[in-house]
Amino acid sequence: MLSTSITRSTPLAQQLRPSFMRSAVPKSARIAAFHATQRQQILPPLPQKIAGTLNEPTLVPDPAPAHGSYHWSFERIVAGGILPLTMAPFAAGSLNPVMDSVLCALLVVHSHIGFESCIIDYFPKQRVPVVRNVAMWALRIGTVTLGLALYSFETNDVGITEAVTRLWHA
Amino acid sequence: MACTRALARLASKRTGMAIRPAGFARGFASVSDTSAREPVSKIAEKIVPDPARTVVPESKTSTVKEPQPDKDSKIKTFHVYRWDPDQPSEKPRMQSYTLDLNKTGPMMLDALIRIKNEIDPTLTFRRSCREGICGSCAMNIDGVNTLACLCRIPAETNKESRIYPLPHMYIVKDLVPDMTLFYKQYRSVKPYLQRDTPAPDGREYRQSKAERKKLDGLYECILCACCSTSCPSYWWNQEEYLGPAVLLQSYRWIADSRDEKKAQRQDALNNSMSLYRCHTILNCSRTCPKGLNPALAIAEIKKSMAFT
Amino acid sequence: MASQRVFQLGLRRAVAPSFRIQPAGRMVQRRFAATENAAQSDGTQILAKQRLQRPVSPHLSIYRPQITWYGSALNRVTAVVLSGSLYIFGISYLVAPTLGWHLETQSMVAAVAAWPVAAKIAAKATLAFPFFYHSFNGIRHLAWDFGVGLGNKTVIRTGWTAVGFTVLSGLYYTFLV
Repeated sequence: MLSTSITRSTPLAQQLRPSFMRSAVPKSARIAAFHATQRQQILPPLPQKIAGTLNEPTLVPDPAPAHGSYHWSFERIVAGGILPLTMAPFAAGSLNPVMDSVLCALLVVHSHIGFESCIIDYFPKQRVPVVRNVAMWALRIGTVTLGLALYSFETNDVGITEAVTRLWHA
Repeated sequence: MACTRALARLASKRTGMAIRPAGFARGFASVSDTSAREPVSKIAEKIVPDPARTVVPESKTSTVKEPQPDKDSKIKTFHVYRWDPDQPSEKPRMQSYTLDLNKTGPMMLDALIRIKNEIDPTLTFRRSCREGICGSCAMNIDGVNTLACLCRIPAETNKESRIYPLPHMYIVKDLVPDMTLFYKQYRSVKPYLQRDTPAPDGREYRQSKAERKKLDGLYECILCACCSTSCPSYWWNQEEYLGPAVLLQSYRWIADSRDEKKAQRQDALNNSMSLYRCHTILNCSRTCPKGLNPALAIAEIKKSMAFT
Repeated sequence: MASQRVFQLGLRRAVAPSFRIQPAGRMVQRRFAATENAAQSDGTQILAKQRLQRPVSPHLSIYRPQITWYGSALNRVTAVVLSGSLYIFGISYLVAPTLGWHLETQSMVAAVAAWPVAAKIAAKATLAFPFFYHSFNGIRHLAWDFGVGLGNKTVIRTGWTAVGFTVLSGLYYTFLV
């Protein structure tokens, strides 16, 4: 009844509207306004909520070695493999095509794991589930694309170490 | 601004009651409702204040002075983080105090106790043993987490000291953080001896000297949470990542030769969050007031789990 | 305090037997403070409400800059810079034929050769410094994963050594190669 008599267009009219109607502000806008002051923060903390009392332990997740110990060991092996392959070109000028391809593959895996760990750190699953999923899928798509690109670069071009060497001396 | 607004509200309320017929009261009340005029963010903040609200710097707060300074007194300034739960929507602030170092004990805890006793009794902090064995007075002093009772006051009077509570913790009051989550996490690693088989001689569980030596540097931990709250990984993911202190405690039982649940203890850590959010930043070992090395303990856990 | 008081009263009574015995309530000190009764279950709710109001203590902005966490942050930043450029290059290399770009090594070398010296140096520096820092720091990280070099002094020393090596090799590969 009132809404028909007061137009929404002017700010004054908005202020004159009774408060029970003002909830017409879309929820997303209200939430956005709420978060506006936090934007400069890295991972703004939420209001404190603790499940259970002090005498109950926090939940222990089920063991998942694929995301835990195996993942960690694999990551170290990859990083350890990259090390000699990045040092060799400085001594020998560039790598042979096979070693160059191995380096590319290792770099793709290493980058993927690194970005993945950034996403896990800065986009916690409970807090920003949608952003987390989007970021993860973007990363997966990006990594596959990078793999294809480097494959085609390795097969059609001079190889990554040789390319960097030439570019550096250009 | 706020004053005139309040006056206007008062005036309009009175006239509203007097003149308007009751039928209009509802619509009119909302007009005089000042909170509705504020941006939505302000209203949201009143309901649940933003936990990340900024601290009012010391330049915008008062300074409480040393009560009776002498001629040859060594006046040093301390900026202390204050937040009062009785004014929950207010921002935390840095309150400045000046103290004569000649009348103050040598440690930061002495300074805090002197402030509380002689200058400002409302200052709140935890303390108990004053000798670094209880871990109550853990706080961030001049940017580093440490125990106030083990931290000397720097003698230079021209440098101002800053005292904050442990970083990235929910604050109960002033320098007192809520440690509930930390203790719950400690509980989750089952910090006690777990055995199924009885002792071989029926009396006690014996250890060789070498086995006992493995626990040195682990059992001394007093759970002051200095290391955990210095860890950026723990800042961002404290709901899931256990943090250096709790992991050190977990390793204390994994390394114990008498414990028989080593595999279960390792399984409890074997996921992407509990243990492997440690990126060897090493703030933990750097800050430990007891000189322990949580980073080494975590590295040993990771090594022991590498191919299991 | 309380025991002292009781003792005094007892003394007084002993000294003067005719002293009239007071009712027990008078002996006890009473305080008139306003208190409210709250059940245990209410307590948890009050606590939960208080928790919602609590601020989080400052962290990044107040923690002292140290080689440990600054070095680690730099490690991650350099990693993102390096891997980010690799991803950008890879994706542009794949879409280059459809967009008519030339990202083959020969044409890239020719393009870079035409750049002014300042641009070349800037490009080299933006890649060389992150690369060397991440490599040298990566060695430290691998050592730590073997449980080596985790003492406080070692960490500080190797940290600054990595920075030093980065500056030297970065300058060398930026200006002299």
